[in-house]
Amino acid sequence: MTAITVHCLGAFRDLGNNFTVEVDDASVASIRAAVSSHLLEINRSDLEGVLKRSVFAEGDELLRDHVTVSGHEVSLLPPVAGG
Amino acid sequence: MDLFASKEGGRYLCGLIDGPCQTSGLDVLVQDPAHGAIAQFFGVVRNHNEGLSAAAVDYDVHPELALKALSELCDDICGEYPVRLVIVHSRGLVRVGEASVVIAASSAHRKDALGAASAAIDQLKIRVPIWKKEIGLDDEQRWLDGHSLRKD
Repeated sequence: MTAITVHCLGAFRDLGNNFTVEVDDASVASIRAAVSSHLLEINRSDLEGVLKRSVFAEGDELLRDHVTVSGHEVSLLPPVAGG
Repeated sequence: MDLFASKEGGRYLCGLIDGPCQTSGLDVLVQDPAHGAIAQFFGVVRNHNEGLSAAAVDYDVHPELALKALSELCDDICGEYPVRLVIVHSRGLVRVGEASVVIAASSAHRKDALGAASAAIDQLKIRVPIWKKEIGLDDEQRWLDGHSLRKD
């Protein structure tokens, strides 16, 4: 198992600045599934819809779900709303 | 801490600043003796949204990604329009009546300056990792929905 620190942005800030999930492999799809489980565990399934429309990033790169992360930290970016 | 990026030759300047944006002096940054038009856009926090009263907006930003996205946006706009361009966005608290984003574009003729400024704000809203937390008059807070960056 690999521990991945998820940095929270936007609506996910309600969960704190970051949290950690454990994944069997470091694919973004696995991290997304682990975050979904985490939301259920902490009774924040209301954020599940936001999660489905969110993207993960490592450094300054946005990641598709088939990608495997190289480090142990990702950012979780909900739909953007600048302006 | 304020963060800025610029294109060599002064074609564009973009950045993020803490707190509200200043709306004065922006035109100086895009002035060019060959340009006869300057268009400016100020995005200002209003006192209502979706039927609710608002006192302020707290902008959350991913600085590294936002500056990269702003630079790419400026590259795209400057590729499409013959302009000099400045885009600055706030992060943190911006109160009603204060500007959260300022854009200036200059060009030889007005159509390009106006088109570039309009395209810049349209693209900023759907491409740049910035999030709004609206703060109501009674200090109630809610995150506003936006545009997904997910591509799969």
